[in-house]
Amino acid sequence: MAPTYHEEPELMKLPRATEMDVTMIGLQNAGKTSLLRVLSGGEFAIDSIPTVGFNMKRLQRGHVTLKCWDLGGQPRFRPMWERYCRNVNAIVFIVDIADVDVLPMAREELHSLMSQPSLDGIPLLVLGNKSDLPNKLTVDELIDAMDLKNIAHREVSCYGISAKEETNLEAVLQWLMKFANSKK
Amino acid sequence: MSYGKKDEDADTGLVKIDRTQVFQEARLFNTSPIQPRRCRILLTKIGLLLYTGEKFPSTEATTLFFGISKLFQNKDASLRQMVHLIIKELASSAEDIIMVTSTIMKDTGGSTDAIYRPNAIRALCRIIDATTVQSIERVLKTAIVDKNPTVSSAALVSSYHLLPIAREVVKRWQSETQEAAASTKSSGGFSLGFSSSSANLPVNNSTMTQYHAIGLLYQMRMHDRMALVKMVQQFGAAGAMKNPAAIVMLVRLAAQLAEEDAQLRRPMMQLLDGWLRHKSEMVNFEAAKAICDMRDVTDAEVSQAVHVLQLFLTSPRAVTKFAALRILHNIASFKPHVVNVCNPDIELLISNSNRSIATFAITTLLKTGNEASVDRLMKQISGFMSEITDEFKITIVEAIRTLCLKFPSKQAGMLQFLSGVLRDEGGYEFKRAVVESMFDLIKFVPESKEEALAHLCEFIEDCEFTKLAVRILHLLGVEGPKTSQPTKYIRYIYNRVVLENAIVRAAAVTALAKFGVGQKDPEVKRSVDVLLTRCLDDVDDEVRDRAALNLSLMHEEDELATRFVKNDSMFSLPYFEHQLVMYVTSDDKSVFDDSFDVSKIPIVTREQADAEDRTKKLTATTPSLKPPKTGPTKAAPSAADAAASATATAQKQAQELLAIPELKEFGAVLKSSPVVELTEAETEYVVSVVKHIFKEHIVLQYEVKNTLPDTVLENVSVVATPSDEEELQEMFIIQAEKLSTDEPGKIYVAFQKVNGEGSLPICTFSNVLKFTSKEIDPTSGEPEETGYDDEYEVSEFDLSGADYVVPAFASNFAHIWEQVGAQGEEAEETLQLSGMKSIADATEQLAKALSLQPLEGTDVPVNQTTHTLKLLGKTVGGGRVVASVRMAYSSKTGVTTKITVRSEEEGVAALVIGSVA
Repeated sequence: MAPTYHEEPELMKLPRATEMDVTMIGLQNAGKTSLLRVLSGGEFAIDSIPTVGFNMKRLQRGHVTLKCWDLGGQPRFRPMWERYCRNVNAIVFIVDIADVDVLPMAREELHSLMSQPSLDGIPLLVLGNKSDLPNKLTVDELIDAMDLKNIAHREVSCYGISAKEETNLEAVLQWLMKFANSKK
Repeated sequence: MSYGKKDEDADTGLVKIDRTQVFQEARLFNTSPIQPRRCRILLTKIGLLLYTGEKFPSTEATTLFFGISKLFQNKDASLRQMVHLIIKELASSAEDIIMVTSTIMKDTGGSTDAIYRPNAIRALCRIIDATTVQSIERVLKTAIVDKNPTVSSAALVSSYHLLPIAREVVKRWQSETQEAAASTKSSGGFSLGFSSSSANLPVNNSTMTQYHAIGLLYQMRMHDRMALVKMVQQFGAAGAMKNPAAIVMLVRLAAQLAEEDAQLRRPMMQLLDGWLRHKSEMVNFEAAKAICDMRDVTDAEVSQAVHVLQLFLTSPRAVTKFAALRILHNIASFKPHVVNVCNPDIELLISNSNRSIATFAITTLLKTGNEASVDRLMKQISGFMSEITDEFKITIVEAIRTLCLKFPSKQAGMLQFLSGVLRDEGGYEFKRAVVESMFDLIKFVPESKEEALAHLCEFIEDCEFTKLAVRILHLLGVEGPKTSQPTKYIRYIYNRVVLENAIVRAAAVTALAKFGVGQKDPEVKRSVDVLLTRCLDDVDDEVRDRAALNLSLMHEEDELATRFVKNDSMFSLPYFEHQLVMYVTSDDKSVFDDSFDVSKIPIVTREQADAEDRTKKLTATTPSLKPPKTGPTKAAPSAADAAASATATAQKQAQELLAIPELKEFGAVLKSSPVVELTEAETEYVVSVVKHIFKEHIVLQYEVKNTLPDTVLENVSVVATPSDEEELQEMFIIQAEKLSTDEPGKIYVAFQKVNGEGSLPICTFSNVLKFTSKEIDPTSGEPEETGYDDEYEVSEFDLSGADYVVPAFASNFAHIWEQVGAQGEEAEETLQLSGMKSIADATEQLAKALSLQPLEGTDVPVNQTTHTLKLLGKTVGGGRVVASVRMAYSSKTGVTTKITVRSEEEGVAALVIGSVA
């Protein structure tokens, strides 16, 4: 017989830190890996290599541990997004707001993902990254471009940020922390 | 890695683990927070299933994989190791495995002493695909030169696995690999300790990294011989390598280089010789084996290796003795005299309690020993035949079969031994080996015929193998009627008709018929008639049909029936096989419109087939298998294959000739010579010639290859001038219209024998190539309009006596020698062959040059100083030619020979001698 293992008693768990899962997606070169690196206290690096598959990092905020899944944005990885979004506390969709040409593609990918029944009700945060660059979209323009008004069955927010200049990052974390205990 | 076959015994005694149950449990991976200990146990179960051959279907594997990917980056180092291990195994069956690349890459670097780094590296190379290899290039390059040998080894082995998908990328890591091979760090090795207490790598003292690095370096430099030579010399230097396995690799490489390039033979041999004295046994054995397997190895070269092996024979360890003996056994097949010195040591091993050692000891002694020791050894073997496996029994039987052909005078003892083992228990392969040995005895050692047949008769009385029974019955049918008491065999054969299955019965009927057709004795004929008539009532169609056919053949009693039943000629089998293969594998659909035409297959007489067969059997005992090469090189064709392909080429040439309308009227080719090169291989025009002898004509077939780039030769012909124009008259030349660069073409020159079919003209031909040379216009790719006429003189060649003779086989030389001597003529010549280095050399060369068949085993000289070679052949006209060659060898003068040739036809004896004089 295989040895049996006793679960730790319920009491012991209580003072433990809460853990939450966050999935970060978006087209390639939107700045997902860079954002995660900056969020976890690392230096911004201009020449990061494309993510093959995914990266995972833990962020500690007080008693909450954020497990951030940073998924590759190249077309070959997009079919796998859905799988990594199931049962997470929040989905973060990152858009390069200085690259207008790829916006329609980003919108299409976002809407097709959000129409998946398995992801119903999971809060969505859309981040317009690279606000430090010229010729960028404003938040309102981004909301229109991404057609966020038509995403139903969930809480949706949209912020403009810059991973490079570290603008507005605190707001992102605050927003995420709201869902720390809302796991489905 | 695939564990293709499910190991049925694996789960006995272990926890019963079920795939579906494990799959259900895998939900555990999705729980949060992660429970490292429980996850590890679950991963272990998955691992166990995979390693015992269980396969997860693609969807399940994918689900498992995604579950496992949730466990990444856990603080528990052992869990990380397990995750990498299982990901590696799932890589082949799960989809989208590429997802974890970035994450695993992180684990390959990280803190330098992390225990999971090697695991991560190995997993990484399994999940990567060709398009993403570049992204892990930096990681692997660093890992290869890592100071920790375990990490370095993992990276080297992984690179090796990446070669098939990304050779070009991996090749860029040469300098790192070189560094890893040269490093003599010794603080690591193989540890698979999944200890959860310590996340640090255990200390490792292995030098295995060097082995892995050498293996990878070889793969990278495989196609660059100079680089390989440098590598062998650099790392082969004393002390450069610590790891014996790495040196073994170098030994193989050195042997391969020596084999491929004659220039390198000397330096490589020196290295090999040095390795014979290396302190590791492993290296000594490999070096000895490499030397012994070297092509055309000389006695001097091999003697040092034999000496080293001899020392190992007295080792207390059985495995050492076995390894040494096995190599000696191999050399003994073709250089028995070199192994002779070890005989006293080998003698001691024939009663070794390890049967594998004893078997090899005896078979080695059988090869090296003289005629006198044979009987004693046979006795020893009979003692333990029943205790060894079939495989070893076959080895022994094969050894004895060769011995029978070598020492025909010992046939009685051997036959007794063979018949003895035939009665023992044994599988089909073993029995077949014994039966075939007896067939050979019957065929080549006539004194043994009657007794051997009697033993075989007895064997089929109780033979469980239909195939063997059929073959023996066929042989009885062929040989039985020629014996003094044919009736003896009829009884045995008829017993089969009564007692056996339909296949054997049918064979027995055919065999019986051979006794009846053409039978002079009315008594015998009547009995066969009665027996066959009874077979008409058989329940099986085939048996009845055969009986009916043979009965009517018996009553016909004409030439045709005899020829049909006792056909003494057969198809040339190698060519037949070749044609059939060509037919069935043809890409051209239209080939199948016509059915295969068997009448195109040339027919040879049984004598010729036997002669070939015997040569093949004697040469087949020399080692034809090379040791596994370090690289994928072509296996050297075995002697037997070479012989078969040589016949096939000859037959193909004959077919080509027949396809030429002008040559058709000459009739069949009586003899085609081997190819004679008329130029060096690297001249502008490479020319060779084959001489075809017809009844009244001689056709010279030139093959010309134009090696000049960008030129075309047109209207190529050869002016062949015989030195004696009285006997040969040129008839016509079939020229080659056009020869492009490196496309060989054929030119035929036909001559008529002026003095008719009986004459055997001997002369020397001088040859001049004539052609129009045109340059190719580089812009259009077309040859220019005008060219210039040119001539090119090539070497002369002789048409000699040997061109009119074909080898033939007979079992009794003395008889034929006297017979031919009584009615024919004789010629004699004494020659000094200073170029020959040994008797064996001279024997082989002379038989070839005279184009005659060695008889009575005289092609294998027993004595190194004097030898008599007995040869037989037939002229194209059918007259017999016998030759007796006496040789004596001394190191000063080389081989002195006295050749006496007798022939039935007038003038032939002198002609034949002329071809070597």
